Amino acid sequence: MGPRWKGKGSEAKALAEPMSKIVQQLQSSLIQSQTHGSLSSCSVLIEAEPEQAHLLNMACFGRPIVTVEKDKQWYQLGFEEAFYLCYSLKCLQIVGVEDNCAKNEEELWKYMISKRTEFPDFYNAYSHLRMKNWAVRPGSQYGVDFVAYHHHPALVHSEYAVIVVSESGDNANRRLRVWSDLEGTIRLCGSVAKTLLVLTINSNGSDLGFPLCLEQYSIEERTCTRWNPEQSREE
Amino acid sequence: MEVEDWAASSDGTADSDVYLQDTDDEEIQYESGSFPKLQFRKNKSKACWDAEMGMAEVMEKKGRIWTTMGVVRRSKTYCFIEEILYLAQIGALVLLDAYDTVLSLKDICEKVAEGKNGCHWEAFEAYRHLKSLGYIVSRHGVPWTMKSVQSFSDSACLEGITESNEIADRKSEDELSIISLFKDLHINELRLGFDVYLPNSKFRKSCPGDPSFILCLTSGQPPLRAELENLEKKCNGIPLKFCHVDHGRGIFFSFDKVDLPVPP
Repeated sequence: MGPRWKGKGSEAKALAEPMSKIVQQLQSSLIQSQTHGSLSSCSVLIEAEPEQAHLLNMACFGRPIVTVEKDKQWYQLGFEEAFYLCYSLKCLQIVGVEDNCAKNEEELWKYMISKRTEFPDFYNAYSHLRMKNWAVRPGSQYGVDFVAYHHHPALVHSEYAVIVVSESGDNANRRLRVWSDLEGTIRLCGSVAKTLLVLTINSNGSDLGFPLCLEQYSIEERTCTRWNPEQSREE
Repeated sequence: MEVEDWAASSDGTADSDVYLQDTDDEEIQYESGSFPKLQFRKNKSKACWDAEMGMAEVMEKKGRIWTTMGVVRRSKTYCFIEEILYLAQIGALVLLDAYDTVLSLKDICEKVAEGKNGCHWEAFEAYRHLKSLGYIVSRHGVPWTMKSVQSFSDSACLEGITESNEIADRKSEDELSIISLFKDLHINELRLGFDVYLPNSKFRKSCPGDPSFILCLTSGQPPLRAELENLEKKCNGIPLKFCHVDHGRGIFFSFDKVDLPVPP
């Protein structure tokens, strides 16, 4: 399944402004404006200027929060998104709400794990796809962990519904461990024209602290699809 | 303006649902009507069950079915219990025991249900489903014949390929007894089950080529990545498919490794 573009001209628009370039522009803009985010127990909040708001939308980071403020736009980032901007792209400072102090990356990592045990695996999956220039959004509307788009969702349908599975430790995500879950998930993905992509993450027994542990992680991509024997009989 | 469009849809536009039809339960009769029946066949092959081997020797062949069923050893054709049950169900085979007594369909079903002859009920359902669609199906790891054409280098024709026919004859006796040792099957085991070939009227046992895919019979849970990798290593690049049987119904899956492309 190649990308399914929405309407005429979308493919051309995407080619003219590749996602990698958009993300780069976002990165520069955030660094220049010294934007910082406020850490909460489940998200990071950003108060963005119009230029950053525009780029956050284009690059598919965060969910806008509707407020009466006219000149600023508030965004809510998930942990993976926020950590990616902070650690991978080094363009976002994240500040604790109680003390208003910038958290260093290690503190942030530990904090996020403390709130979500599956965070390391999810972060690895998220950054793996982002580094391949895919636009990655939360998958909760589809009962999966993420959905991955070839470019912005306005231009293209998402091709993959992503589930993150951990091979090490106790697989906090606990998905796809029984047949009914696998069958149901594939069925749901199919009904919204997406392929189920399973990312299996392995920490490879890394005892190392952050950030060295990240280098030890390995990821394998597999698609899970139903095969219909009735339809495949001719070579 | 473009920005508004993009901002509005970034939060997961609902992709249109593709209506999937699954009429299975609706197929069950409500009013009492006649059951679907297969056509009665006049020409039935005959096979004789060998309990020790866990296979039957085909004594009388009728029709063209034997071009794609049964394994040949020392010029005799033997068939596995799943082949026997499949043929018995469609009325193409009569199975006799050592005393020339006809074994009933019930007796044959029991041999499968026991799981002692290398095939249990779930495996049979997968086998039956594919056979009824015209696929050619054999047990993985069991050559169709030991007398293979020696001129090709296909990896699918295992040990028999380089041996002379004489040696092959002697070996096939041992091999059959090895097959019969596959008695106890653990249902919760993920393993390579059947080699599956696309329907092919020109299929020849002496030169089958690589199967289209190898069907794995699944265990109680969906396979883990490490299990998948293990199986793939044994397959020489031949694709794998998986069959999960639930409530007597087989559902087939592929769990292929991919490497997502990098958009610009």
